[in-house]
Amino acid sequence: MSLNELAFKLNAHLTAEDTRFDAVLAESGVLEVICSNNEEFPINIVKTDTQLLAITPLFNVNEVKPDKVNELNEELLLISPAIPLSSIGRQGDSYILFGAMALDTLFENIVHELEVQAENTVDVLQVIEPLLL
Amino acid sequence: MGILKNILTAVRGGASEVGESIVDANAVRILGQEIRDAEDAIGKAKQSLTGLKASEIKLKREINSLESDIGSYESKAVQALEAGNEALAVEVAERIAEIESEAAEKGAEHSALSAQVNKINSMIRQREKTIQKNGRELEKIKTVEQLQKATSSMSTNFAATNASEHRVSKALERVKKKQANWEDRMEAGEWMEGEASGDDLERKLKDAGIGANTSSGASSVLERLKKKSGQ
Repeated sequence: MSLNELAFKLNAHLTAEDTRFDAVLAESGVLEVICSNNEEFPINIVKTDTQLLAITPLFNVNEVKPDKVNELNEELLLISPAIPLSSIGRQGDSYILFGAMALDTLFENIVHELEVQAENTVDVLQVIEPLLL
Repeated sequence: MGILKNILTAVRGGASEVGESIVDANAVRILGQEIRDAEDAIGKAKQSLTGLKASEIKLKREINSLESDIGSYESKAVQALEAGNEALAVEVAERIAEIESEAAEKGAEHSALSAQVNKINSMIRQREKTIQKNGRELEKIKTVEQLQKATSSMSTNFAATNASEHRVSKALERVKKKQANWEDRMEAGEWMEGEASGDDLERKLKDAGIGANTSSGASSVLERLKKKSGQ
């Protein structure tokens, strides 16, 4: 399924938990998805030869209290295994939450992954919020 | 050494902008070239394998035919001996020796061909492994490139909003507020549903003559008045 097709299907979909999606394929080729259960932190979807990557940029390292960066990294490593379907990482100076799916993942499973990732974002940020500026 | 080490070095070095090379372009070219070389080699090996396999099958067929000839001459030699014709038996035995020598030559040729076929097969497997390994290495590079692409737009936004402190906290607050609104609406919806089903139950009870006073209207008033005047 192309990202364009995925955008079309997401925009027409309503999940069992009443989540809607607002998906736009940007000129850069990134599919930007806003889930109604967390409109503040969009999920960016990109595609490689073998996988779909769903990435939520969380915050920049300069948004962390300067003396708390190590503590934050440790907390993120500790909570990462407990987060369903998503992992935490750093891309350049940005902390990200991301999930990877095979290219032949069923649409229903992609939707589930996105919905869970949007929820995970809120959960993770609530935990580490005290360490942010 | 895998490409992951190069990726780490590049990312540590700050190659985080889109378009900036994740790893040395030369390394990517080498990986790609190795894949193409391996594919070419597999193509050629498969072609020569077809020819070798055909020769191997042909030889095997010839050996089988020679072995069957040997069997046939052996039984004829026995018959000649039984008939007391020693000279004929010797002639047949000489023929058998010739055929056996030919079969041994072809057998050696067949073994050499089989060994070559096995060698080519193992070479193909080796090349296929190289293709898969290099393919996975390239996939790692592509993954990081795509990650950069997906993160870059938001990074720009982060930079733009850096002036505003507590960006994450404020955003979280808005999310929580929205979720609370949604929960309130759900609760209201449930209450409405409860009310609606409650009314329905009352109506059913009334219809069944259970619960609330079912007598009404003038007749019940008259009844009440009659009782009163009788007192």
